[in-house]
Amino acid sequence: MIKKLVSIAALILIITASGLAQDLVLKGGTVLTMTNGTIKNGTIVIRNGKITAIGRDVLIPAGIKVIDTSGKYIMPGIIDTHVHYALTGMSDINEATDPVTPQIWMKDVLIPGHDSVLKTLAGGVTAVKTMHGSANVIGGVNVTIKLKYNAPVEEMIIQDARQQLKMALGENPKRTYGQAKGKTPSTRMGNAYVARKAFIEAREYKAKWDKYEKDKAAEEKDIIPPKKDLKMETLKQVLEKKLSIDCHIYRADEIVWMINFCKEFDLDLMQISHCIDGYKVADIMAEAGVSYGGWVDSWGFKEEAYDGNPWGFKIMFDAGVNIVVNTDSVSPGVSRYLFLDVAKVLKYNDLPEIEVLKMITLNAAKALEIDHRLGSLETGKDGDIAVFSKHPLDSFTKCLMTIIEGKIYFDYTKDSITVKGGNHE
Amino acid sequence: MNKKAYFISGLFLFFLAAITAFPQETILIKNGTIVPVTGKTIKNGDLLIQNGKIFKIGTDIKAPSDAVIIDASGKYVYPGIIALMTAVGVTGYPGAGNDQNEVGLVTPQMDPYDAINPEDNTIEVTRMGGVTTVHTTSGSRNIINGKSVILNLEGTLAQEMVIKKYAAQIFNIGVRGENKYPTTLSGTVTLIREKLDQALKYSEKKNEKNSKENTTKRDLETEALVPVVTGKVRAIFLTNDEVTLRNAISIINDYNLKGVIQAGKGIYKYADKLAEEKIPVIWVATTAGPGRWEPFDKYFRAAGMLAEKGILFAFATGGFGGGSYNIRNLPLPAAISVAHGLQEEEALKALTIYPAKILGIDDMLGSLEAGKMANVVIWTGSPLQMTSGIYKVIINGKLIPKTSVQTQLRDKFDKIVRKRMKKKK
Repeated sequence: MIKKLVSIAALILIITASGLAQDLVLKGGTVLTMTNGTIKNGTIVIRNGKITAIGRDVLIPAGIKVIDTSGKYIMPGIIDTHVHYALTGMSDINEATDPVTPQIWMKDVLIPGHDSVLKTLAGGVTAVKTMHGSANVIGGVNVTIKLKYNAPVEEMIIQDARQQLKMALGENPKRTYGQAKGKTPSTRMGNAYVARKAFIEAREYKAKWDKYEKDKAAEEKDIIPPKKDLKMETLKQVLEKKLSIDCHIYRADEIVWMINFCKEFDLDLMQISHCIDGYKVADIMAEAGVSYGGWVDSWGFKEEAYDGNPWGFKIMFDAGVNIVVNTDSVSPGVSRYLFLDVAKVLKYNDLPEIEVLKMITLNAAKALEIDHRLGSLETGKDGDIAVFSKHPLDSFTKCLMTIIEGKIYFDYTKDSITVKGGNHE
Repeated sequence: MNKKAYFISGLFLFFLAAITAFPQETILIKNGTIVPVTGKTIKNGDLLIQNGKIFKIGTDIKAPSDAVIIDASGKYVYPGIIALMTAVGVTGYPGAGNDQNEVGLVTPQMDPYDAINPEDNTIEVTRMGGVTTVHTTSGSRNIINGKSVILNLEGTLAQEMVIKKYAAQIFNIGVRGENKYPTTLSGTVTLIREKLDQALKYSEKKNEKNSKENTTKRDLETEALVPVVTGKVRAIFLTNDEVTLRNAISIINDYNLKGVIQAGKGIYKYADKLAEEKIPVIWVATTAGPGRWEPFDKYFRAAGMLAEKGILFAFATGGFGGGSYNIRNLPLPAAISVAHGLQEEEALKALTIYPAKILGIDDMLGSLEAGKMANVVIWTGSPLQMTSGIYKVIINGKLIPKTSVQTQLRDKFDKIVRKRMKKKK
């Protein structure tokens, strides 16, 4: 009995101790909430990884670690909706052997202790979508993760996020197959055919399984389960809307084609990645409820990218498109200064500052369907926070601290080269 | 339309053409914050431009009768940014081709001036980002690449744009042959030395009176290196690590070259040596990803380190080909460097007067001083802030229209999208 009590007490202690690590108070500073304006000299209380209180006059519970953030800027953790890091390596991004590979899952190659995670945290980024490449019309399933450095993979993956299948149209699948491999697709017609054929097969596959499940439920005799096909299993999940889609597209005509294709097959298209021509069909994207997920000013680096246009953001904003600025970072690239990159939107467009910050926070969370947990600083949301020395859109700012669920993952005073005896030494 | 209307509109078109063909020669910028970069900032200052040159800077300058007056109240007047190591002018538009990087490992005779296309869309896009002068190279993929040319981003013909022909010869120590000599770094270093030796010999022979070889066939390849070995033309060495950097320093010293080093990750190891040898540095790796055991901000802080050691340095994006589309983003690495320790004034100089010094054109460009060429940009804020927009661009004393292929696309699709949205309502 005593033994049992001791073990229970120990268990409680462990739970409390682990809970304590997820408790934190940020006191003072300018809080950019994204949804409820800016709070000057605000306080944020995080308990068990969630924000429990936020405001100017907030009671600070006893026994919680308090960090003085006065004079600093506090914003939700930055979210990058298109990256290719936190994984084994470049050779594991594209399964470029077949234009249809939905059986591939990016979650299988994650490395939570990868250096790219650590380096990205230093830019205030707390969540990313690690994606399959664009070699295939239907690529693998992406994985939305939090940058919990060195945590177990299961904890890194945002479990209640609907994951997204990567698709790609335009030149990349054409270039990968076509003349290079003597295989369809070599044209945009081929891309369309490959996508349509796969989903028609998936519908047939689903119908067979649905019938089987129905017969099984009705306890019919002598029923044989159809053959499992892992490619079709994934596409069946897309048809069932257990997975959504992120499609790599540059040209306007293909954006429209993809929106129509998803209507035809009743699929949930969440984000058009790169979306170079998005501004040309902003109204159609807004109506379809699909997010722009691209760069600010990249253009010209390939023929289909020629009309990339930083002046197009106002058109998209006015049309009501959910605008997300992401990076396509590999190692980990622009992700480390996404706040600086997004500021360029204001160089070319007359938009409110807060709307620009949403492009790397709340809008990104919406595109990933995790806005119930992330993207803004509100009671009940996850304690995922970036602390900056100046306003995040001031180009002389730097990230001082990155917090995920109340735990400090990056601390300038420990990780900077300027600090003697820092973590890097 | 009747005849009279035709006549009037014809007359109008004629005047419009006349205005474009003979731009205003006298411009008075009034009441701006003038940042000459080399001297003190003047608040509520005026700047008078006549005959393509800065005529006068001060306060309360009386407008000449023929002057076009630009009200710059609330705005900031800076010298145009000078971008080193670009492909602006030779990158073309779709179908025009890319004319960098001639075949062969040793092509010193290649001259980008021969391939300058004034219709290259990167010209107007780049100047709309406040860059008024570029140093365009023959490429970077060869060991000895060819010549470079300095261009103003204004003019309808190459001869109108050019500021300096054969500004430098471009060596890339990081290049090796594919299945042909030299396939190793030591081979590359030796090959460069061999070619420089040949050029020295060639030059001596040419100088010998009555030399038989003087009348023999010319060798254009070797001849192109003669001004380099005689110290008349700069030799820019592209390096990417400590070994290539070390070899560049030795070659510059051994051959007494007017050397400039484009440096990347090896910079910390050889900064003292570069300072001692007074070799200027083109710094391209601010945003380079640090290695596994390097702190996140190691290269964010490198420009600050260069300035502290008194090394003459300039920022460059290091982007040839693809990267040249966004030469306009040159202020980004400068801003990151300021956030991480570089003085703001130094950062501005490293975009203007320092690159001018490195190219030897600081007597005519790089700062706002009476007598200098009128390359003047009026900004809505500091060029180092990503949010700052361009108010006016003046190059060679000419007011540049604020249009580019990108603003044209914006205007076109803004109308189309709005029209479609109206229809739906």
